[in-house]
Amino acid sequence: MDRLTEFLSALAGFATLAALFHVSWATLLGIFVGSLPGLTATMGVALLTTLTYTLDRDTAILVLICMYVGAIYGGSRTAILLNIPGTPASAATALDGYPLAQRGEAAYAMALATAGSALGTIVGIVLLVLLAPPLGEAALKFGSFEFFWLAVFGIVISGQLTGGAAPIKGYIAGILGLMVAMVGSDGIHAHVRFNFGLSELNGGIGLIPAMVGAFGFAEVLTVMWRRRPDVADLRRGADRVLPRLADLWRYRWTIGRSGVIGTMVGIIPGVGEDIGAWASYAAARRLSPERAEFGNGSKEGLTAAETGNSAVVPGALIPALTLAVPGSAPAAVLIAALFIHGVRPGPMIMLEQPDFIYSVAAMLFLATIAIAVFGLALARIFVQVLKVPREYLMPVVFALCVIGPFALTQRLFDVWVMVGFGVAGFVLRQMNFPMPPLVLGIILGDLLDKNLRRGLTLSDGDLTPFFTRPISAVFVALILLTILASLPAVRRALGRLLPAARGADR
Amino acid sequence: MQLDSARADRVAAMVLFAIGMASLYGGWTMDRLEVRRIHPASIPGLVPMILGLLLAVCAGLLWLSARRERPAAEGGAGMESWRDAGVALGLCLVYALVLVGNLTFFWATAIFVASFVAVFGGAGGQGGRALLLRLAAAAGFGLASSGLIAVLFRYAFLVRLP
Repeated sequence: MDRLTEFLSALAGFATLAALFHVSWATLLGIFVGSLPGLTATMGVALLTTLTYTLDRDTAILVLICMYVGAIYGGSRTAILLNIPGTPASAATALDGYPLAQRGEAAYAMALATAGSALGTIVGIVLLVLLAPPLGEAALKFGSFEFFWLAVFGIVISGQLTGGAAPIKGYIAGILGLMVAMVGSDGIHAHVRFNFGLSELNGGIGLIPAMVGAFGFAEVLTVMWRRRPDVADLRRGADRVLPRLADLWRYRWTIGRSGVIGTMVGIIPGVGEDIGAWASYAAARRLSPERAEFGNGSKEGLTAAETGNSAVVPGALIPALTLAVPGSAPAAVLIAALFIHGVRPGPMIMLEQPDFIYSVAAMLFLATIAIAVFGLALARIFVQVLKVPREYLMPVVFALCVIGPFALTQRLFDVWVMVGFGVAGFVLRQMNFPMPPLVLGIILGDLLDKNLRRGLTLSDGDLTPFFTRPISAVFVALILLTILASLPAVRRALGRLLPAARGADR
Repeated sequence: MQLDSARADRVAAMVLFAIGMASLYGGWTMDRLEVRRIHPASIPGLVPMILGLLLAVCAGLLWLSARRERPAAEGGAGMESWRDAGVALGLCLVYALVLVGNLTFFWATAIFVASFVAVFGGAGGQGGRALLLRLAAAAGFGLASSGLIAVLFRYAFLVRLP
């Protein structure tokens, strides 16, 4: 009850015209960003972060969260109409959304996606309010040993789950991210490492330029690399643009289950919305009496995928706020933004700013209402957004990629960092190296480095406490299980034991 | 060479192995700060050494897995255009590394955007008049978008432009 009161109190704090104005434009912009193939939620949040320096703390976080929620939802538009996910999070949506659009039910598919997204986010918000405070309190018991293993676990699980058929590439991406974090002044003795004689590297590589490069510039190149797809004709979809309550009631268990799965996937460090959508979709397909329809225009499949990916958003914020470990790539940018605006995420947040979690929940709730209103009211208008020619959009996006990182530090060096990460990100993506572990590595590098060395100092070089302390032991067991599960022989054995699990992969 | 092929993975494995060994060497030779009497377990090169070793091991595993796989078909007709990506990359590099910093941000951006639109917006009609119209549209869009971005950052977000 206390938590509900706190939540309602936080919500009341945003009941101003100015806040609603910010919710409106930021969510609309987010839907626009998510709708366009090539503009991802991470890129949108990273670019918008560079525009929030002059805003006050709550307004800045509000617009970033609205952008995040809007962009994840907006990705469903392109998935349904173009069969190309606007964001990777909507890949599962395309499986059933596009066949529905081809059958002339595009508008209804978008209405279902809207309802699924809104309900998924609400399930996630409830779990955020319920889980974040106890998790934050539990995190207070973490010492250096536990934080070290938490960082290792994040990299391993993220590499495993995003690496797909080749987890080794996920692990490599994570290690590369950690290596990037080793550049610059170390967190214990302030000794400058790997600056290659460049004084600009003494402070390390900035997260925002790296993210804008890896997700912005790399996307620009990817969009120019792809050929332009055909847009499904919405005029054929002379169907309703509001979801039928009967359909939502019929899929209530799917919505609830997908919301919980999505949130739980969000809590796992560095995994993200696409895995949340696939996991929810796979669970719905396994348990649905209409499983034969999945992949051929199943409304239940579409609802599960959209509910799952949207529920990841609040889920990803749970570890981001309480442990400073992002659950997804956009959440990683949000952590950087929180630091910029004077909020220190991590275990101390429950002591220093206990209300902040409820403020974030209220921000998510407002963004959810906005996607429901805009998504249902402007379904047909958003289709026009898809017709913006790439040759007009991409140079403007790249110009923002250049000026955004520059705005933070006023250094051209950060523009070069952005360019370097963009080219590297494009090449790595083409080679099927996942980006989330790389980003997570950059975020967690400092945590891992400091806590390993601090732990070793505390134990006088003895490794035993890293394995014998209860929470550490649990992390070690989880890490070993995760690595074991990625071995081909174990995967084959699991596949034989759990034939249904194979379908969960894709 | 396709970038999602076994051959590309083998090349990547070699590059990554070299990076891993370089990090291992860099960590090993890094100042151990004995003069500051720090605990030997907290030397700054410790984690770079571990990461270098891990990367080298992972690169070896990547090499082995790429050896086992059949090489992907080279030069398949995909949904992608390397020419477009290459030209876009060239334009972006010239803009970010040459124009920005040497010209005012407004002119650098206007030239970049106009060039990008002119190069890739070539699906219009043939002939000199169509070409002139296309170039005029590109120039107009370049100037307008550059002006908008410059004004937004300069006056709304109070950023000193490069």
